[in-house]
Amino acid sequence: MKRRSFMISAGAAAGMTMLPKMAFADANRIDWYTSSDQNITDFWTNIIKPKFEAANPGVTINLVDAGDSAGLQAIEARALAAMAGKQDPQADFFEGAEARLPPGALQAGLYVDFSKENLSNYSKLNPLAADIPQNITYRGSQVLLAFDTTKLAADKAPKTFADLIAWIKANPGQFIYNRPDKGGSGGNFVRRAILEANGRDLSQFKIDNYDATTGEAKLQKGWAILKDLAPSLMDQGAYTSGNTQSIQLLSQGAVTMIPAWSDQSLSAIKQGVLPDSTGLVQLTDLGLPGGFTYNTVPTNGLNKALAIKLQDFILSEEIQSAIITELGGFPGVSWDYVSKELHDKYQNLIPTSIPVFPGGDWDKAVNDGWYRNVAPNVDRTK
Amino acid sequence: MSLAPASDIVGTKKQSGGLIGLLLVAVPVVLVGWMVIYPIISAVVTTFWQPDASGVVSFTLKTYQFFFADDYSLANLYLTLWTTVLCGVILLVVCLPIALYLRFAKGRLTAYVQGLAIFPLFVPSIVLSYAFIRVLGPNGMLDILLNAAHLPKIRSPYLTPWGPLIGLVWDHIPLTVLILLAGLGAVSDASIEAARDVGAGRIRVLWNIILPRLGNSILVAASFAVLGIFSAFTLPYILGPAAPEMMGPFMQRTFRDLYDAPNAITQAVISFVFCIAFGLFYVRSVVKNQRGRS
Repeated sequence: MKRRSFMISAGAAAGMTMLPKMAFADANRIDWYTSSDQNITDFWTNIIKPKFEAANPGVTINLVDAGDSAGLQAIEARALAAMAGKQDPQADFFEGAEARLPPGALQAGLYVDFSKENLSNYSKLNPLAADIPQNITYRGSQVLLAFDTTKLAADKAPKTFADLIAWIKANPGQFIYNRPDKGGSGGNFVRRAILEANGRDLSQFKIDNYDATTGEAKLQKGWAILKDLAPSLMDQGAYTSGNTQSIQLLSQGAVTMIPAWSDQSLSAIKQGVLPDSTGLVQLTDLGLPGGFTYNTVPTNGLNKALAIKLQDFILSEEIQSAIITELGGFPGVSWDYVSKELHDKYQNLIPTSIPVFPGGDWDKAVNDGWYRNVAPNVDRTK
Repeated sequence: MSLAPASDIVGTKKQSGGLIGLLLVAVPVVLVGWMVIYPIISAVVTTFWQPDASGVVSFTLKTYQFFFADDYSLANLYLTLWTTVLCGVILLVVCLPIALYLRFAKGRLTAYVQGLAIFPLFVPSIVLSYAFIRVLGPNGMLDILLNAAHLPKIRSPYLTPWGPLIGLVWDHIPLTVLILLAGLGAVSDASIEAARDVGAGRIRVLWNIILPRLGNSILVAASFAVLGIFSAFTLPYILGPAAPEMMGPFMQRTFRDLYDAPNAITQAVISFVFCIAFGLFYVRSVVKNQRGRS
């Protein structure tokens, strides 16, 4: 037996043992799959599942972690195949999904069009999260600026990118961001600088419009801003290797300001990793990029009606407030529909826009371009 | 099948039981061949046989030409070599006195010193990295202590090439101390006392009696340290500067972020060539030792 075929059969045999044992969908059991991290599954296990099951006696939610996007797509592909064969997909709800995937699913009508489902909370959805009606959100996250209010008064915090650059230069050594490939906080700061250099024009950056010459020219303009900024960063151009390390430096008082994920900074404040005196602010001219997480519901699921009910349920004020307080995320509904107390507390963070920078070929170009252009061009011995 | 006589175990009867011995080593040898040797050969081959622009696979050196013509890649290689050599030297300077102390000192304190020297073995490098940031990082414990003593702040080694260097030295102390200590076991008290009797001072005992018997162990310790440091990932990743990178993080980034397997494998092969030199030192000394025993 060839090594390759041996590996395949051994892998398949091992995989078989991990398959669910002849699972059939149960009526009143919502089979829920996610591509998100453990903190999201925990949030569903501890908050949403008990509340929804209490509100709907006899209904259970079966929470399954599909691992990552690729894992979730495999389940979605199964649902698509089941649709063609008019069979039971054994799936009712996809968390952290994208209705454009797997290719062909949208055209085949695999996903529920939420605009036609009369969700009681549909009108409350944050307009910034608007996408195709098969994608429906319930939470978001965005990179913002976290800073030490004991060193920088909250009302003096920069509100535009130009202000931010001016502040960093006026306060050398007090700002640090992480390497763009090692965490989204630094990554989206770098992308915001690229957007700034290109007239804050998001339309220039689409998932399918990267090409080596024009793309490179656009990125070079961004590198110019970041190279110019480097001597004013901590240690004249140091970059941490992840979101957490930046937060650690802020908590040690080594720097005054960092870019940070909204959910990560809110939970850091809640856990006491960052002090209560930490201020959070978003730029008003164009926010640092981030995004919403979308859910989809397959049209052929056995518990489609319940799944739609569940989606409506997680847009209720109770769950949306819990997303802010327990998860540290952004609500999927407009901020007017969370409790007034929370609204006032997070007033400075409420984004007027959440730009989304495309992935695909841009990712590679941004990440490697940064390492080659921005990171080394600093003489740190001075 | 007959039971072999017990005397075989101590090897009085040569050349028997060879089959059983071979069977015993067969599993690890096959595993090493399958999981280590074969992937290495296959990796090296894939760097030389690559598809060109039209998709035809042919012999090429393009990824090697790229590596050695690319200042960024070369800077990463130099940083790795600099860190490795410096780490190796510092390790010997730090560990030899500890090993000598542990070999010749008597008393309870020795046990504590030994425990302290072996301690890093039980600390995962990810924990070490974050502890490092808290202690030696900006506004870390050291800064607080210096401040309390009204001394000026130091420039933190965090996010500079010195960060991973300090971390790696600390991480490799236990192994180096243990190997040197094992080597010192071969130095008999009698030979040292004999040298003292004829009037040799401490330095002379070290230089003429101890070091000649320790050469092999130093070589082995250095090889282990070099191999570990060359392939280090976590410490350079968390504590080192963004650029230049050490080869470990550089390879990982090329492979995972840039999806550029040919260049990542080329970087691995180049690292491998440097490591193999030290690997050979080690193998040679092991073989020499075994010949010496038989």
